[in-house]
This record gives sequence, structure tokens and C-alpha cells, in this order.
Amino acid sequence: MSTMDRLEDVSREMQNAFVDGQLDAAEWSAMLERLAEDAALRRDICELRAAKDLVRGAYADVKPGGREPLRSRGWRGWGIAALLVACVAAGWTGRALIGAGGDDGNAGQGAAALRDLTADRILVHVSSGNPETLGTALDEVEDLLRGARAAGRKVEVEIVANSTGLDLLRVDASPYLARVATLRRQFPNVTFVACNQTIERLREHGVAVDLLPGVHVAPSALDQVVKRLQGGWVYIRA
Amino acid sequence: MSFLRLFGPSAEFRRRIEQSREMLYRLAFAWCHDAPLADDLAQDALVRALTREAQLRDPERLKSWLCAILANCLADHHRRRRSHEGVDALENVEADARDRPEESLAAMQLAQRVRTEVARLPLGQRQVLTLVDLEGFSYAAVGEILSLPIGTVMSRLCRARQALRGPLMGFASPSAARIRSVK
Repeated sequence: MSTMDRLEDVSREMQNAFVDGQLDAAEWSAMLERLAEDAALRRDICELRAAKDLVRGAYADVKPGGREPLRSRGWRGWGIAALLVACVAAGWTGRALIGAGGDDGNAGQGAAALRDLTADRILVHVSSGNPETLGTALDEVEDLLRGARAAGRKVEVEIVANSTGLDLLRVDASPYLARVATLRRQFPNVTFVACNQTIERLREHGVAVDLLPGVHVAPSALDQVVKRLQGGWVYIRA
Repeated sequence: MSFLRLFGPSAEFRRRIEQSREMLYRLAFAWCHDAPLADDLAQDALVRALTREAQLRDPERLKSWLCAILANCLADHHRRRRSHEGVDALENVEADARDRPEESLAAMQLAQRVRTEVARLPLGQRQVLTLVDLEGFSYAAVGEILSLPIGTVMSRLCRARQALRGPLMGFASPSAARIRSVK
């Protein structure tokens, strides 16, 4: 086919780069010259451009919907500044701040910062179902709770689970059913919150979600995080 | 890290993050074609971004920084659980089309058809394609966002467009779309 012959001269990658405006001036001029004399190349370029336009058009109207947009929840009142001031006042170091934002790939990094925290209201966000990550988070939360109790310090800890982290709170999926139940029994100052968005998503995929007794449900994990941040809680990502 | 950053994200940063939500959602949706999951991913990316302002060295690159965070969120999701993404999930996305005027019905069907074809692409190709086509990133920026050499960006994009050309060319003109819409 003539298309194949022509590709020896103008690679497909170059054709795409032309369509995407990624050629430098010299390459651009050379391409224009080729286009002037090569009708089949013109057709190829036309098709690539059409494909690009179709892809762009296919997602142009995609907007977050079906759930209440973040914006309407009053982001202007986002209390993270107050939160961070509180953290500094509580002796939360820059190291802990980095830990709080740690990737899931660094399991336990955020939780490791937990031990050093002296804040009294702490939200631990769990979004990974990795048993090791979950186990580390539970270890650290338990350490914190025991340490605070021994020191006579009042703390509140809330574990908010979404995405695959929801597994922690599911009767049929939690690798730590007994531990969560024991933790709840021993420490009334720890609460567990499940993300309703994740629950809905699982249900849409035909997965029945059976939560452990006593688990609260928030409209979404983010809603809960925002609410707690506004209330001056410290945010830690497990 | 600037000490002042410890006192929280600037109002300008928050405003720009807020304005990016729609972009992140659209991109997440184009990657996973699952509306609730896209919502989760976009929200996850926003939370991560808000807690990491200090890591954004160049405010001018906020958009690509956010996209890189979103790509990490998706990668984490795939690592944790085998993705349930698929063409079948597209069915849930379609709004009720029956009462639409013919013109917009045709446009919706065309969009749906394109999304179906995009969803069939391997994830790596899909991400490169949508970053370039939906968000207008340069190849170099896509390379940075996805941590890929530029040659890989170009070859993935090339393969993605080749895969799309055949199935989509019959839909390229509005008239063709309309004919299909009324059968």
C-alpha cells in the first residue's frame, strides 16, 4: 500500500508530532513541503487530526456529577491553614508534615510520624487495602492511644477509610477484624468512618458491603477530611 | 522547604487547586471510564495536593504537577486492586438519551463510540493520548508527568492514534455520525 512506502520517508511519529505542534521550525517547514506534494500524506495527517479532535470532543462535556461537587461544600472555608498552624504549635515538625503527605508506596511513613504527634485530635486517612499498610496504621494508632492513656492525655483518633482502604472496615474483607473490634472496645476515643462514595461504587459493581458494627459512614472521605480539618484536626495519611 | 509554607497553602494556591478539579476529573475519567472511581481519584489527588504545597517548586507548573499526582493515585489504585475498568463500565456513564434532539443524540453517540475505543487502549497509551489531546501538554511535559522518556511518549501516542484511526474514521464527519444515530 502506498501508505507503507511513504512511512519510510515521514515516520508516523513525525506525523503525530506535526499534528500536535511538536516539531521545531525546520522540521515543520520540511513537513509542509512534503505535504504540498504528497496527497496520501495529506490524507494521513487529516485522519490523525480528526482522531485528535474526536478524542478531545468525546470528553469535552465530562464533568464531575452525580455527587455534590467539592465547590459547593465551601472550599473557601478550608481550614488547612488553621490546621497547620495548630500542628506547628503542637510541635509537629517539617519532617512530620512530609510524612503526612507520604505516598502509599512508603507504607507507614505517615503513620511513623503519628508516634511523635502531640496533637489531641488526629484523623488517619486509609486509602490502601494493602494488609501491611493497614497493619502498620493500626499498630501506630494503638501505640498512640496507649501512650496517650498512659500519660493521661486526652486524644481523639478517627480512622477514615476509602478506596481499597475500605477493606479494613468490611466484615468480609478485613484482614484485621478482631483487631479493629478490640481497638474499638478498648479505646472509646477511636472511631472508624467509611466513605460512602466507595461503598456506592462497590455496590454498583455488584459487591455487597457489610461494615463492621459501629462504623460510621460519611458522604465521602474527602468530605470527612475537610470537616475535620476545619475543626482543627491533624491529618495523617497512612 | 519554606518555613512559611508550614502555615498552610496560600489563598491563590487553594483557588488554583479548586479550579483544577474539573480538569482532574475529566482526565481521571478518560483514564478509567468509571465515573465514581474518577471522582475518587480526582478527590484523592486534590487532598494529596493540598497537603503537599511545599513540594510544588514552580507554581507555573501546577497543572502538570497535579496530573502527575493523579497518575500516582491511579497507579496506587491499580497496585492495590486489579482494576475493574472496562468497556462495560461505559454503559453506566451514558445519560438518558431518548429525549435528546437528534443533533445532540448523534454527538453523544459519537462521544460514546470514541470513549469506547479509547477505553480499549492499554492504559499507558490512553494516558499519553489524553494528556496530549485533552489537556494539550507537550510531549516533554507528558514525559515528566508520567516519568517516561520522550521517545516512549511518542511511540505510545503513535500506537494509540493508529489504533483509533481505523475504528473512528467512519465517524469523523458529522453527517456520518447522524446517519448512524438514526440508523
